[in-house]
Amino acid sequence: MPENTIIRILSVLLVMGVVGFVSFPLMVSRLKKKGVEEAAARKQAMLRAKTHSVVAAFLYMVFMVSLVSLFL
Amino acid sequence: MRPTQDDIPIGLDNKHHTVAFMTEIPAKILCNLPSWLYNARNDDYRPIRHDGEVEPMKIMYGMLVALTPAALWSVYAFGPAALIRIVAGIVAAVAAEAIFQKLTRQKVTATDGSAAITGMLLGMAVSISTPWYAVSVSAVFGIVFGKQLLGGVGKNLFNPAMFGRLFYLFVFPDSILPWRRPFDLVTTATPLEILRETGEAAGVPILDMFLGRIPGTIGEISTLALLIGFSYLVYRKFVRWRIPAAAFSVVLVLAIIAGHNPLFYFFAGSLMLGACFMATDPMTSPRYPKGQVIFGIGIGAIIMAMRWWGWQTPGVYEFTEGTTFAVLTMNLTTPWLNRKFKPVRAAK
Repeated sequence: MPENTIIRILSVLLVMGVVGFVSFPLMVSRLKKKGVEEAAARKQAMLRAKTHSVVAAFLYMVFMVSLVSLFL
Repeated sequence: MRPTQDDIPIGLDNKHHTVAFMTEIPAKILCNLPSWLYNARNDDYRPIRHDGEVEPMKIMYGMLVALTPAALWSVYAFGPAALIRIVAGIVAAVAAEAIFQKLTRQKVTATDGSAAITGMLLGMAVSISTPWYAVSVSAVFGIVFGKQLLGGVGKNLFNPAMFGRLFYLFVFPDSILPWRRPFDLVTTATPLEILRETGEAAGVPILDMFLGRIPGTIGEISTLALLIGFSYLVYRKFVRWRIPAAAFSVVLVLAIIAGHNPLFYFFAGSLMLGACFMATDPMTSPRYPKGQVIFGIGIGAIIMAMRWWGWQTPGVYEFTEGTTFAVLTMNLTTPWLNRKFKPVRAAK
C-alpha cells in the first residue's frame, strides 16, 4: 500500500478517535446535569460519542475531498 | 483415565474453539445457501413484522438474489477480475463482522446476510482497475465503523456499503482510474466524464448504456440487469419503491429542464445501483411514505448537482458521480424524517 494511502487511513481513524474521546466526557456531564444516573449517563454518552465520531469521519472525508478539489 | 479431545467441552479448549470458529462461518453459509434462496422466493415464508413491513433479514437475502443478474453480467463483461473483487468484498465484510462480534463478545450474526450484502455492493461499486485489497479494506471499514461500532444491524446511521465506498473514494482515489470498457478492457472515458467535458448528454449509444457495454464500476454498467433485480425486489415487496421513484422523478425533471435526454442520466453512472439497491436499505432509509419521498428527492437532486458541478481534481480526485455523497447525506436526515413524518396511527 502506498504511503499516502496509509496516511489517509490513519487520519480518518485519528479524527474519529479525537472526536469520540472529546465528545464522551462532554456528553456524560451534560446527561448528569439533566439528572441521569452515572452508569446510565456513561452508557448513553458512549453511544452518542460513537455516533459523533462516525459522523465526524463522514464530514472529514467529504471535506477533504472538496478541499483538495478547491486548492489543486 | 486421561480425557480425550472429544471429552473436553468446546468452550474450555482454545485450540478446538478457534478451529470451530474458523470453520463455522463458511460451513453455515454453505449449508444455509439453499434455504436462503428458497426463503427469498417463497411468499408463504415471508415473515411480516408487527408494523406490516417485511423482516429485514429476508430483505437481505432477497437483495443478494436481486443483485445476482448484475454481478453475473459484470463477470461476463469484465472477466474473473470482477468476481475476485466481489468475493473479496463479501469475504472481508463477513469476516470483519464475525471477528468484531467475537472480540466484543456479542452473538455472531455474520451469516444473517447483511454483511454479505454490504461486501457484495461494495465489490460491485468499484472500478475494475481497483486492487482487491482496496475493496477488502473498505469493506472492513464500512462494517466495523459504519455498522458494528454503533451496535450492528438496525442501529447504524449510514449505509455500511456507502460508508465503505466513501472511505474507498477518499483513501484509494487513484485506484479508480483508468476506467475500462467491458469485454476488450480498453481505457476510455465514462459517459459522465464525456458529459462533464462536453456539457452534452450524448456521445454514447443509449442502447449500449442500457445493456451494459459502457465503462463504469463493476456493478453499475448494465441497467437491464439491475432492473431485472429491482423488479424482483418490487415483486416481493422487499423494497421501499418511493425512494427510487422520487429520485428518478427529480432526475427526469432536471434533465428535461436542462434540455438533455433523461435516459442518459438514468443509465449513466451509479444512479440505478445507488437509488434502487443502496438508498432503499431498510435500516438507514425513512420508514414512512412522506419521509421516503423527501429522501428520494434529496438523493436525486444531490446526484444531479454532483454530475453537473461536482468535485474534480485531475490526478487526485476525479468524481463525476455523486451517489455516494447523496445517499450518505440523506442517511443523516433519516432519524429526523422518521420523527417528522411519523403517522398519528403509528404514534399510538
